[in-house]
Amino acid sequence: MSAYDEVEIEDMEWSEELAAYTYPCPCGDLFQITLADLRLGEEIARCPSCSLFLTVVYNEEDFADAKEPPQKPPAAPQPVAVA
Amino acid sequence: MTSLPEGAMAAAAVAAAAEEEPEEAWAWTWGAGTDGQLGNGGFQDHHLPQPLLLPPRCRGRVSFIAGGGAHAIALTSDGEVFTWGRGTHGQLGHGNLENIAHPKFVKFFENYTVTCVSTGWNHSGFATDSGQLFMCGDGSFGQLGTGDNQSRNLPFEVSSFTTKHVEKLAFGMRHSLVLLKDNSVYGFGSGRRGQVGKSASKNQKIYSIPRLIDGFPNCKIVNLYANGDHSAALDESGQLYIWGRALVGEHDDDQPRAAFPSLSISQVALGWHHALVLSGGELYTIGAYRHQKCDPTVSEDTVAQQLHLTTTSSTHHESSSVSSLAKGPSIHGEQVTRIAAGTEHSAMITDSGALYTWGWGEHGQLGLGDTCDQVVPQMVNLGDEGSRSPASLGVYCGSGFTIAVNLA
Repeated sequence: MSAYDEVEIEDMEWSEELAAYTYPCPCGDLFQITLADLRLGEEIARCPSCSLFLTVVYNEEDFADAKEPPQKPPAAPQPVAVA
Repeated sequence: MTSLPEGAMAAAAVAAAAEEEPEEAWAWTWGAGTDGQLGNGGFQDHHLPQPLLLPPRCRGRVSFIAGGGAHAIALTSDGEVFTWGRGTHGQLGHGNLENIAHPKFVKFFENYTVTCVSTGWNHSGFATDSGQLFMCGDGSFGQLGTGDNQSRNLPFEVSSFTTKHVEKLAFGMRHSLVLLKDNSVYGFGSGRRGQVGKSASKNQKIYSIPRLIDGFPNCKIVNLYANGDHSAALDESGQLYIWGRALVGEHDDDQPRAAFPSLSISQVALGWHHALVLSGGELYTIGAYRHQKCDPTVSEDTVAQQLHLTTTSSTHHESSSVSSLAKGPSIHGEQVTRIAAGTEHSAMITDSGALYTWGWGEHGQLGLGDTCDQVVPQMVNLGDEGSRSPASLGVYCGSGFTIAVNLA
């Protein structure tokens, strides 16, 4: 089985809650890859709900020693109510 | 009642629906359900049609349903809206971030008449009869049109359009398209694949302020379509325009391109890697499902013969350019009247009122009682034989789920 799609790391969203980079999966859930995975050179992001997986395109050097997401991803915005 | 937790409210709604609506269903859902997107009171997948728990008073009044990543919006003919499913980004518009497993009236709009709704991955939009545009949900990519990347859990009016008249909406995964009464088309949100029009610069990928999309010369646009990173518009002559991520091949396009000038297209449905178009009652397909396994024990020809289907060999293989449109699967002697596309599955209704699904089936989104993928359309049994007129059935898809409803 081949990868569902190929996505660049900059198109993924950092999720504090999941401690992973995520991208929408066609099933409705999220493809996920952790920082630890990226440090190890892993390039597959899996969806916990189905059999599909993504190939993640990134520069391995950017993550080799990364402790935090390198390019300070936008913090998950707090939903606000605006009447 | 207001002090009851959401779970108890859901249970009450389930009980109420069961009480007032003893047997005959008129709206159904199936497929991925873990965020409550099936609106059947539960949080799990279903492989067969389940009753959608719209209030009985909505029977015969539903005019449209929009399906997003894992939430949905039902619109009634008198302008009421109901939302359900994933609420994590405020996309249900109830002022909180809860997932809701049954359709819930959006109180915010009780004094408005909503005429058009759309859903993206995690965002929602509502246009009113007075031309106002309200949005809620995930704004991380500027897809709410607010000029920032904030999310909202109550609908708010998009200020860019307060002096304009919004008529139609179509939202993709992370972008939004708006058609104004004056025939102009605006886009906002993620523009990584050209889906909100011409790139301002190579580095800019988020457009949080609505921008005019040029490229519709001398034509009256009647509808917009979006899904994934794809965008499309249809004019009154049936000419289709496509832009955004390439449906076939590698070349994204940030300007609307006229596609298939030989067809007069009446309906369009976009997936994440495929599109369906309807012309003269015949179905055509563009692109291919990314996810394509079929039951190895049944050959395509066998199934086609059993169902009296005809397919062309090119239908399910990638073509070399978007100009190569494939004649879609058809049912002998029947015209296709409605089409819908999820991320990786498709649905259609024929003039006899029969509902067919095909494509990716891992979450039961084909409604056939299993999780198999299907290359050719398979008839879905709603269990209501003879109790509806063929013309009244509508079908809509969210990413991994499907909704059928007897329309207004």
